[in-house]
Amino acid sequence: MEMDDTKMLTCREVAERSEDWLNQDLSRWQSLQMRLHLAMCKGCDRFISQMRVTRDLTRAAALVEASHDADDRRISAILSALRDGKETTG
Amino acid sequence: MRQRQVEEAALREGLVAGDRATFEIVYRRHNAAMVRFASAIVRNRATAEEVVQEAWLAVLRHVAGFEGRSSLAGWIFTILTNKARSRARADGRMISFDQGGDDDSLAAAFDGRGHWKDLPDLWEEITPERIIAGRSILEHVNAAIDALPPAQRAVLILRGQQGLDSAEVCAALEISEGNMRVLLHRARLALRTAIDRLQA
Repeated sequence: MEMDDTKMLTCREVAERSEDWLNQDLSRWQSLQMRLHLAMCKGCDRFISQMRVTRDLTRAAALVEASHDADDRRISAILSALRDGKETTG
Repeated sequence: MRQRQVEEAALREGLVAGDRATFEIVYRRHNAAMVRFASAIVRNRATAEEVVQEAWLAVLRHVAGFEGRSSLAGWIFTILTNKARSRARADGRMISFDQGGDDDSLAAAFDGRGHWKDLPDLWEEITPERIIAGRSILEHVNAAIDALPPAQRAVLILRGQQGLDSAEVCAALEISEGNMRVLLHRARLALRTAIDRLQA
């Protein structure tokens, strides 16, 4: 673990902590270090923005597919298999 | 959290009662991700669809016992994980998600002092609806998820799409929290790279 608290984060360290940053899972000191670095580093600011968009698109991708997956036949098959199971074990 | 629990209690009631409309809601919410997730374990789409059907039956048979201690998605995906792993074992495949994973994909992006070699791009053209090479961005994202190594894909679907919390993911996949964080981070980095390439 980092013992020298006064040392600025490197870009690589920012990238490694990006998940925790986006989840607001860093300590107050770690958050401050991140904020300082992002205010001064265009590369990391863009990278964090990319990771945020990636996260949002990942969530959205699941929902879009779900709305097209209207498989009435499969739903009916599952429900009737359930009823058949209940009859045979009943 | 409270609102979700209220909604899930209502869904549970509908499922226990065998209400088709309720089942359709839950099915549409999760089925596609379940097939994608099961494919990471059984490695074959047709088998994945069979396993998912079995999982739905188990969900409906046992939903009366769902007490809301975990999320509904967490409970469904735990059932699915067990079904998929049983099927993989029956097919002679040993599945473990407890892998460190591949090498650090970002290592090459930084110089010896930990600075970016090349500045990351502004993603001005990356919106969900935009069409690139005949597919929407979201279709590209789903394709990229399908291309992930199985362990990364499984963690990303559970944690990054289905909203399971860390403890639920670790319990379902039988991995440590540390391992889960590494897999999730690598999966997200891989998706970022895939999306970045769409802009090129």
